[in-house]
Amino acid sequence: MNKEQIHKIVTENPVVLFMKGSKTFPQCGFSGRTAQVLKACNVDFVDVNVLAEADTVPELRDYADWPTIPVVYIRGELIGGCDITTEMYQAGELQAKLGDLMNPTRRALIEPLV
Amino acid sequence: MLTTEQIEVWIRAGLDCTHLAVDGDGRHFEALIVSPVFDGLSRVQRQQRVNAVLREHFETELLHALSMRCMTPEEFNARG
Repeated sequence: MNKEQIHKIVTENPVVLFMKGSKTFPQCGFSGRTAQVLKACNVDFVDVNVLAEADTVPELRDYADWPTIPVVYIRGELIGGCDITTEMYQAGELQAKLGDLMNPTRRALIEPLV
Repeated sequence: MLTTEQIEVWIRAGLDCTHLAVDGDGRHFEALIVSPVFDGLSRVQRQQRVNAVLREHFETELLHALSMRCMTPEEFNARG
């Protein structure tokens, strides 16, 4: 995936997670944890498996100025990796940023993550 | 194998730290980084500053995973 394709996917989808593996079968603990945080927020998100194409990680490094996987984008904005996403979730900041993107009927069911 | 000491040297070489602690098992590392440079920066901007310092080591994949907490000296001193 090149920079143009990365730009297109993060601007055309409200929430995007670049990860190792998929949200169903994560292949790295940090990727899996980040997917779990987004699932806990009840948002629909697009998962991009960076292991599928060898150039995605270096292209993303240049596009985002971010060297490690996972990476979360919300409405085209770089949020960060596993640490930041988890910290923001625990502080309620991630939910505030997601806002209407969270499924309203299930929003009340959100459980704190251990 | 990559050592925590080596990572500390890399970070200190590019960032003015008042406190730095790196822990890890040779593959996955955690760092607590306290620097006045972080003042006024968001979480993502703070990590980007550290990432920029470590960029070449991420590129060579010598450094694979670094979990980090980035605090200003004021935040570090005020923590409970």
